[in-house]
Amino acid sequence: MIFAVGLDHFLLLGALLFVCGAVCMATKRNAIGILMGVELVLNAATINFVAFARYNPVFQVEGQIFALFVIVLAAAEAAIALAIVLNFYNNHMTVDVDTAEELKG
Amino acid sequence: MMNLVELFGEHPGWYFVAATLTPLLSFVLILLASAMWCAGRAYRATPAGAAIFNLFGGEERGRIPAFVATGAIALAFVFSLIGFIRFTAQQSTFETQINQLQTKLHQLQTQKKTATEKWTHELEEEIEAEEAKLENKEKMWTSARSYAWQGNFDWLRIRPAGIRDADNGTVLQLGFKIDSLSALMFVMVTFIATLIHVFSIGYMSEELQPEVEDHQVHTAHGHLVRRGRFGRFFMFLSLFCFSMLNLVLADNLFQVFLSWELVGICSYLLIGFYTERQSASNAANKAFITNRIGDAGFILGLLILWTNLGTFNFDEIFQRVRAPLSDTHGSVDVAGRIVRGNVDPNNTTKAGQRFTPDEDGSQVLLFPHRPPEHYHAIVSRVSDNPKPDQHSAMPYWLLVAAGLGIFLGCVGKSAQFPLQVWLPDAMEGPTPVSALIHAATMVAAGVYLVGRCYPLFTYDALVVIAYTGGITLFVAATIAVVMTDIKKVLAYSTVSQLGYMMLALGVGGWVAGLFHLMTHAFFKALLFLCSGSVIYGCHHEQDMLKMGGLFPKMKITALSMLAGVLAIAGIPLFTGWYSKDAILAQALGFIYVHPQHLFLFLLPLVTAGITAFYMARMWLMTFTGKPRDEHVYEHAHESPWTMTAPLIILAVCSVCVAWGWPIYDAEASWLEHNVHHAQHHAVLADFGHVDFTESKDHGEYWVVAKKQAQNERLYAFHNHHLAGNLALGLVAISLAFAGLIYWKRVLDPAEAKEQFPSLHAFLMDKWRFDRLYSVILVRPALVVGHWLAWFDLHVIDGLIHLLSWLTVLASKWDGIFDNAIVDGLVNLVGNVMYDAGARLRNVQTGYLRSYVLFLVLAAAGIFMVLAYFVRMAMAG
Repeated sequence: MIFAVGLDHFLLLGALLFVCGAVCMATKRNAIGILMGVELVLNAATINFVAFARYNPVFQVEGQIFALFVIVLAAAEAAIALAIVLNFYNNHMTVDVDTAEELKG
Repeated sequence: MMNLVELFGEHPGWYFVAATLTPLLSFVLILLASAMWCAGRAYRATPAGAAIFNLFGGEERGRIPAFVATGAIALAFVFSLIGFIRFTAQQSTFETQINQLQTKLHQLQTQKKTATEKWTHELEEEIEAEEAKLENKEKMWTSARSYAWQGNFDWLRIRPAGIRDADNGTVLQLGFKIDSLSALMFVMVTFIATLIHVFSIGYMSEELQPEVEDHQVHTAHGHLVRRGRFGRFFMFLSLFCFSMLNLVLADNLFQVFLSWELVGICSYLLIGFYTERQSASNAANKAFITNRIGDAGFILGLLILWTNLGTFNFDEIFQRVRAPLSDTHGSVDVAGRIVRGNVDPNNTTKAGQRFTPDEDGSQVLLFPHRPPEHYHAIVSRVSDNPKPDQHSAMPYWLLVAAGLGIFLGCVGKSAQFPLQVWLPDAMEGPTPVSALIHAATMVAAGVYLVGRCYPLFTYDALVVIAYTGGITLFVAATIAVVMTDIKKVLAYSTVSQLGYMMLALGVGGWVAGLFHLMTHAFFKALLFLCSGSVIYGCHHEQDMLKMGGLFPKMKITALSMLAGVLAIAGIPLFTGWYSKDAILAQALGFIYVHPQHLFLFLLPLVTAGITAFYMARMWLMTFTGKPRDEHVYEHAHESPWTMTAPLIILAVCSVCVAWGWPIYDAEASWLEHNVHHAQHHAVLADFGHVDFTESKDHGEYWVVAKKQAQNERLYAFHNHHLAGNLALGLVAISLAFAGLIYWKRVLDPAEAKEQFPSLHAFLMDKWRFDRLYSVILVRPALVVGHWLAWFDLHVIDGLIHLLSWLTVLASKWDGIFDNAIVDGLVNLVGNVMYDAGARLRNVQTGYLRSYVLFLVLAAAGIFMVLAYFVRMAMAG
């Protein structure tokens, strides 16, 4: 019998990706690295949407549309985040976010 | 205007109201004009202010106030005169008719005595018919009097509005009541006041100048210079005239009291007219304060009457206190008397408590205020809470106290012993004021009120009145003998003459006393104005020691004054002779009946001689002999006509105002007869020798009043000549004596002074009354004042200081509490917050990864909790 791929597998993959992204965000000091972590988290969410769209007839359209939105959002977010990083770099001559501590209480 | 004429036609009593209100109008006009003047003066820089200022007189104000005031009082005189003539005419018409009826009745009664039995019956019928006619006539006169000559309206209601209940004493009224006495007083007051106004126009002319130099006031820059006060003087005179006339007009005691106080304040203002002079302001204060003592008594009297009788109206008071002349059962045995008796509170029925008549009883019977148709005047039951038609009773001593209280008011106003001290000092005012207020009218108010309230006085009160008068007249006359200030002599003579009047009222000479009041007003006003003329002519020199020999310089004044001197001395055919002899006759009649009161005749008799002596002394010292001060003599001159004309008029009046026909008959005085009409029947009831006639009901106490009254009149008539001749003899001796000393200079007065230095000093010191009062009243008052000041300064102030110290202390504690506890709590809260914040800020590391970590952990936590709940829900 062929190993059937079901909804659980997709959800597991999404969760794995989410954890990877979260750990990446929490551990990286490099701003670019954090941005990559964010991308991972977003993609984990996209996988979940698509998976639900495939396996739950109620969400067939909405899941697709949400996935598309998330992709567009991620692109916009990457552009803005990179602009921020660039500015950050201009100010601090580094992309180490630990140096950004002006708001420290 | 027509309405006014019609009003006067139907209610001639309103003539007197108009006469009263005219001076008030003048006062208000002058007051308003001066107010406008002052207002204009304050803004005289502006055109409008300057216009007003100039309209009302400008810098040099004219005599307009004097003309307004004089015109007003002259108009009042005209009103009074018309009213008086109409009143007298109406009265005499009725009296003639009543007299005719009485004569006829008398004839019939005599006939009845001699007639045979057959006729008696017919005669009796005729007598009854005549009696009815007489009664009818008397009723007509009474109602005419109450309709045309009196009236009143409610002024203040003390109960809730709408309830008019005069019986419970809840309404104060204003009203007027005219009888012969008040009508005469009106004519007298307005006439003398008019003359004095005219005199004042001349006398006060110095005050017309914008700047007056007062030679008696010294300041750092020489004599005091002030603005003239011509208008003010006449304004006060007008107010005074209004007050005095209102006092005479009043038909109730409260209105009298109002005017009484107004008169007092006018006197205060006018005595203190030269207000910068210390002596003048002291005299004004003295007069005012002395009068307050009297007025305290007055108020007490008013309170007693109000509480017990519930009314201030004269007629109602007298009706309650005095027994009526007749009731349904004919004439009353005790007609016109105060009925004393005892009330037995244990013997009470529905009709009231048992009342037993008793000559020495502790209660007085109060008669019904509105007698019912059928009633007994003397009852055996009195009500505790009487209706208007019921009898009640009040304690006798309270009635005595009320009488004495009101008399004390009169003592103050009329300057009687022991409150006589203010009048001589009151001479600090301008002389016309002395003439008007302190001789002719205001001081007369006291005597007038005693006369008015006569029925209120019990026998005990009357004895006090008589002795007060007796002491006063003697004391004042002896002081007048040594005084050298011309006005002071007159002042003491006024006090003395007022004493005569009081004495006369006290011994039952009601007519004599008030008659003397009238005549005295004329000759005393004359004497004062003459002295004013002398003072004016001598440039405000009042000391007789600096005068002398002024006769050729001022003949009119001297001759007028001589008329006044002879009148007051009691020379036959001058006014004083008629009235003073009447008083002496009455006093003689009184001591016949009451020999224990011998002094009440001896004092006035001796004083008649003293009076003649000091008046002659004054005239001779002023006008005859050699001039004692060349400076004064050289500058002396006769006064202008506005001043001498009133003197001449008053001199004529002083000679002949009391004449009757025949002139030489002391009993025939026209004035006396007019006063006699106003006499209350109580006077006749009280003074007669006691005739213990057997009475029907109440034993022998009740005596027949009418009979007594006739007896008393008889006594006075017989005594008149005896008393008059005695007095005349003394007067003649005194005049001769005075002439020897001061004119012929046979005896030197200075020697007499050296012979009796202590007596002279004693008299000069005014019997030491001022010192006595200084020792027993003024100084203790000062000592008490000092004590009170000390008490204030140390005890009261100490308490206050203590209190403030305690307050400061308490606030210090409060400050500590605030700082430590209140502030401490607030700071504590703040600190806690601060510490918490300082700790919590560490969470905000600024490291992105730690935020993400928190975020993730939180998301995971929420997820786990949700998962738990979902599982529970699924399981449940």
